[in-house]
Amino acid sequence: MTHAAFRNPALTRRGFLGFAGGTAAALALSACTGSGPGGSANAIKFWDMPWGTTSYTAAAQKLTQAYKPTGSDLKATYQEIQWNNFTQTFASAVASKTGPAVSTGGGFQAFQYAQQGAIAYADDLLDTFKKNGIYDDFLPGVVEPFKMKDGYAAVPTQLDMRVWWYRKSILDEVGVELPTTWDEYLAAGKKLAAKGYYAFGTGAGAGNNIGAHSMIVMMINNGGGLFNAAGELDCVTDRNIEAMDFVKELVAAKIVDPGALAYTTDNLTSQWKSKKIAMGISTAGLNNDLGDTTGDVLVAQPMAGPHGDKGTLQFLNNIMMYTNTPSQASSEAFLTYWFQNYKTLWQQKVIPALPVLKSITELPEFQQSVQQAEVVKTWQPIGKTYAAQGTQLTPLLAAIDAGQALSDFTQTMLAGKTDSKTALASLETAIKALKS
Amino acid sequence: MTIGGTLQRQRGLTLGVLIVPSVFFLLLLNAYPVVYAAIQSLHQGSLIATGPFVGLANFTDVLTQASFWHAAGFTLVFTLVGVFGSWLVGLGFALVLNRYVPAGGVFKVLLLLPWVVPIVVSSTSWNWLVATPSSPLPQLWHLLGWGTPLFLADPTLAAVMVCVFKVWVSFPFMMMMTSSALASVDGTVYEAAAMDGAGRVQQFRHITMPLIARSTYISWILMTIFCVNDFPTIYLLTGGGPVDATTSLVVLAYRTVFQNFQTGPGVAIAFLMTAALVIVSVVLFRQIRKSAVE
Repeated sequence: MTHAAFRNPALTRRGFLGFAGGTAAALALSACTGSGPGGSANAIKFWDMPWGTTSYTAAAQKLTQAYKPTGSDLKATYQEIQWNNFTQTFASAVASKTGPAVSTGGGFQAFQYAQQGAIAYADDLLDTFKKNGIYDDFLPGVVEPFKMKDGYAAVPTQLDMRVWWYRKSILDEVGVELPTTWDEYLAAGKKLAAKGYYAFGTGAGAGNNIGAHSMIVMMINNGGGLFNAAGELDCVTDRNIEAMDFVKELVAAKIVDPGALAYTTDNLTSQWKSKKIAMGISTAGLNNDLGDTTGDVLVAQPMAGPHGDKGTLQFLNNIMMYTNTPSQASSEAFLTYWFQNYKTLWQQKVIPALPVLKSITELPEFQQSVQQAEVVKTWQPIGKTYAAQGTQLTPLLAAIDAGQALSDFTQTMLAGKTDSKTALASLETAIKALKS
Repeated sequence: MTIGGTLQRQRGLTLGVLIVPSVFFLLLLNAYPVVYAAIQSLHQGSLIATGPFVGLANFTDVLTQASFWHAAGFTLVFTLVGVFGSWLVGLGFALVLNRYVPAGGVFKVLLLLPWVVPIVVSSTSWNWLVATPSSPLPQLWHLLGWGTPLFLADPTLAAVMVCVFKVWVSFPFMMMMTSSALASVDGTVYEAAAMDGAGRVQQFRHITMPLIARSTYISWILMTIFCVNDFPTIYLLTGGGPVDATTSLVVLAYRTVFQNFQTGPGVAIAFLMTAALVIVSVVLFRQIRKSAVE
């Protein structure tokens, strides 16, 4: 550039610098303004996870757009949030106060944000639900786990369960009856293993938490769990040791695939599809995930542990409200509308999760999903949360469910080389470190 | 003061002011995250709040944890194998392709594919290749009568697998770096050496290696940084398992922050990683200077 350029009256140095300064100021100001707390002046932001296929998102968005608020309540806008990096997405949004007024999310997310003072407790909303009948429509025991010291952190919207599945054709081929107790299961598993089938189909590789959930299922099935009835961390109990000894026995008898500890979700699905797995613990929608249309992959009945206990792990997916909202009344009004109308998601069959409202479980459209209806009927009544044998969910559970402590423990158990007591003690130490 | 001097000053002032926005945004984009991370490493916070000040407690906690030293050990192995493994393979291909090879350009493009293909795709392919007993590689092992290895379930084999995968992904970069260095070597030097009776090995040792040393050191520095900071290669293939066997420092930092939700210790791990990287880079940069002087 030459000096002549700066002598050009059309672009003086001062003029250019003034323009640049003005532009920078405008940019800075625009960066400081946002869409406001939890939405704009005339709408609240609803962030929803993709709980089903793209059809789910379209249906949920349509349901949100159909909301017609009354009085001074604000309408709602819908935003889908991908599961990839959702923790970071929510954290950065909540920290910068550009997050939603209402959202679904991770199972324990509400407890984490409640601890940080970012959650608007749902007590008033639940009072409204008690008046309009929604509260009595909830399946038993699904609301109470959300009660924290200062109030209800969230409201359950759907149910996710870990249940036993079996492939009927394999059991018929080997001549094995569906087991009803752990003893029967062990005997059946050995027969299946002798024919090259695995009766404890699982996986604990990158991103696959079915293995970790299966360990908790076995503990709960034996009357154990990570916590005692008082809600204190208590991993090294006789019941847990017994349950994990049983898992070790399964590993030793080759009832568990030796490679399972490294199986990703895709690997595990592939093993189910290629008919290597005869039985296993999985999500409530396994038959749909495998694309089974022949009725070969079926939900098993709950088995009794050595002391007669029955039980499994359930996750209560939920919806939460944030303190960063343009109008708390509007957040609650929208959620009331949502609960009164979201049965349409099951009627349209766009959501694979199980409903938490009895009225939705009774819908003919849901009852047509025979296996899922069976899960609600036979497994939900014995479902317990991660807090078992306690009942109250806590922020710590987020770190346990997503964290490395449980993953390492699961891989250790599936490797079958460490004694159960030592492995459980390590798990307890690792969880205590999370608490600190 | 002369007119020229005034103009010079005005020009300097103008340029100085014009550079301010760039400096501002550079600071905003680079310094701010680093400063904020430094603050986080000194606090016991969460993902959305800074939390109470704890001084250097996060660093001392991290440095006294066995998991940190285990991850540091694996990071060292992963980096050494990643850097020198990919360099050796890359150098080999570069030397071959430096001579006349029919359709050499096509080969070069094909050899670049591991570097070009998105890591998510290649890690999925490798998982398909080795994960289950019915995967192609274990099947091949079985057919050869070598049993059915658990490539990702056995801690040692998983560590080997991750390192081999890293070499496979990285050698094209080394090949390109070395190829460009070899192309700049004057062919007459070899002719002169041959006339003086130098054999192939002597030529390689005393001519090729010294002449490409500068480029080699730079590629080592870059690959060291790539390896130490490599999250997806490990995380997508093994998730750091089985039982932490393939957990590197960057994977440990990620898990600590985003899975255990312990922001302070996680960021402290990242800072310690950065410090180690700076030391290694400085040592290698000194080597570059030395090689330039020689």
